[in-house]
Amino acid sequence: MAYPLQNLSFQTLFDAVADAMLLISNTGHVVQANTASQQLLGYTAQEIIGLEVEALIPEGYRKHHHHHRVGFIKNPEKRAMGSGNDLSVLTKDGKELAVDIGLSPIHHESELYVLITFYSVFKRQEVERALRISEERLRLAKKAAGLVVFDFDEKLKMHDENEALMAFWGSDSDKNNQNNKNVSVIHPQDKAIRDSAIRDAITPTGNGEFNVEYRVINLADNSIHWVSATGKAHFKDGRATRLLGAARDITEQKILEKKLQDQHAETETLFAKEVATQTASAIAHEINQPLTAISAYSEVALHALEQDKIDSSSLKRALEGCVTQAQRAGGSLHELLAFLQKGELIKDLLDINEVVKEALVIAKNYGYYDFYPLLQLESNIRPVLANKTQVLKILVNLLRNGVEAMRGAGISSSAISITVRTNANISMAHVTVQDVGPGLSDAVAKRIFEPFFTTKPRGIGMGLAISRTLAEANGGQLWLDPDIKVGATFHFTLPFAK
Amino acid sequence: MKTTPPTVYIIDDEHAIRDSLALMIAQENIPVMTFESAEAFLAVCPQECYGCAIIDYRMPEMDGLQLQEELAKRNISLPIIFLTGHGNIPTSVKAMKAGAIDFLTKPVRREKLISVVTNAMIESERTLTESASCKEAEKCIATLTEREYDVMLLAIQGHHNKDIARKLGISHRTVEIHKSNIMHKTGANHVLDLARIAHKSGLKE
Repeated sequence: MAYPLQNLSFQTLFDAVADAMLLISNTGHVVQANTASQQLLGYTAQEIIGLEVEALIPEGYRKHHHHHRVGFIKNPEKRAMGSGNDLSVLTKDGKELAVDIGLSPIHHESELYVLITFYSVFKRQEVERALRISEERLRLAKKAAGLVVFDFDEKLKMHDENEALMAFWGSDSDKNNQNNKNVSVIHPQDKAIRDSAIRDAITPTGNGEFNVEYRVINLADNSIHWVSATGKAHFKDGRATRLLGAARDITEQKILEKKLQDQHAETETLFAKEVATQTASAIAHEINQPLTAISAYSEVALHALEQDKIDSSSLKRALEGCVTQAQRAGGSLHELLAFLQKGELIKDLLDINEVVKEALVIAKNYGYYDFYPLLQLESNIRPVLANKTQVLKILVNLLRNGVEAMRGAGISSSAISITVRTNANISMAHVTVQDVGPGLSDAVAKRIFEPFFTTKPRGIGMGLAISRTLAEANGGQLWLDPDIKVGATFHFTLPFAK
Repeated sequence: MKTTPPTVYIIDDEHAIRDSLALMIAQENIPVMTFESAEAFLAVCPQECYGCAIIDYRMPEMDGLQLQEELAKRNISLPIIFLTGHGNIPTSVKAMKAGAIDFLTKPVRREKLISVVTNAMIESERTLTESASCKEAEKCIATLTEREYDVMLLAIQGHHNKDIARKLGISHRTVEIHKSNIMHKTGANHVLDLARIAHKSGLKE
């Protein structure tokens, strides 16, 4: 069987190779040089054949090379020359060229030859240079962006532990770091949040995303910094093997955000207060006018009876006045309520779990961000029939109360648990919102649903009154749990769709 | 309307309040009139107007305080009682400073209203008597001759007859005759009494 290239000569193949190749004898003399090597080194075939190979080595390395060559001949093996050192070769006109060199021993008819291959190092150097530039750029970019990269192995042990990272990441405790003031400690209130984010990221069933914001305390000056960490877990065989990402100091951004949110909240409060004042004042006027007339008419009637000077026409006028005015007051109230509930209440089929999640986002946007939600949702719960805006309002009100109570007690960033379940007794969706704040005294608990009753220095005292009205308008109820004394616990129910 | 007896004028835009308060006041046999606006009251309010006004502080067109100002501008010295839904201190202070005699918060108790109205009627009566006696004094002083008037001025400044005679260049006896006429015409018993009447007549020193 004849191969198509069976008759291809050694010389043709040798000359066709793109890399420069020399074949030398065991005495170190060139016996063959391919076209590429002649071009690289600037010699003709006649000139180069018979040259001792050291002639191609820059003068300073010749002695050294000779020693190595003798060693190689004694113990020939296929390998790269110089093992990682930058090598160069000397051209005929005295130029030094950077090359990588491969050495392959060839045994032929009991003679040892060595095939020397010059790999142009230009490309490798170019890649290396590009990598160096890229690394330098990355370093500058990380510095400019205040980014620190983290990389954990499967045991959550840090690769490449460095100070910049330690200042950012925040260790769990300061016990081991008494002497190292560059290390930060994670804020105790945020430890649970970060741990849970890591846990979620390395859960094989999750999407591996790691996104968390937390505070660290700088031990050097006890300053608190906000850190935003973003990363991705890598999995192998259903196990997380690596968590890689970047962390960034977002303290300034947080301060600015908080300022904006506070301003927003303050404006909202002022506005709400103004609206409440106007509304209350309008209601007061509407009711006080007939009350004044009723009071006066009644006293006229009473006085007439007491004085035994009953003028029946005056008495009749007074009593008729009472009736008319009482009716008028009632009418005003109905009109007012009709006005406040303008339009028909539109109820939709709602997934209460989704509404709870949406309420969390809204609460955070309203500036009530410093809490850790503990969700216990009932998956596949039946849809409820309710007005979404109103249910959101109830939830946001309850979350807001919880956050404000915890802020007031100096324990912000603590947990608020929200539980969604089916209340089988009444066949309704049952939502429970529980904070870990100071809770309510019995005296406060008794009045908490009264309009305009508030325990907050800047509150208007309408939140819970409105929330209860809304729960009732949607066919449910809202109440305070009188038995749970840890924090305040509110429940509300909503009917399932039929 | 010239001889209208002292009357309680109720000015309130709310019919039921006018009506009920009017009934209440009428029970005390006090004459009462009601008006649905400040403008309606001003349209018929005579210069000589006695009694008191119960004015709603908050009215759609001219409000209570504006009505008070307008009455002052017209020299109608009617005691004013303000009615308000929710009395706040600054507005009540302002009203009281402008001469309101009371500031009542709705709903108002009968006892309180009647007592305030009664006081206002007494106050009005006093003003009325006062102004009547002023007019009387003015009339008396007007009957004096020019010379008698000069003598009176000096006498009430405490000059003795001898001084007066010297100052006016007349005899002591003539001064005595003038003085006797002055005392007779004004009905004054002595010089101090004369001084009181002269002041009441609006005489300025």
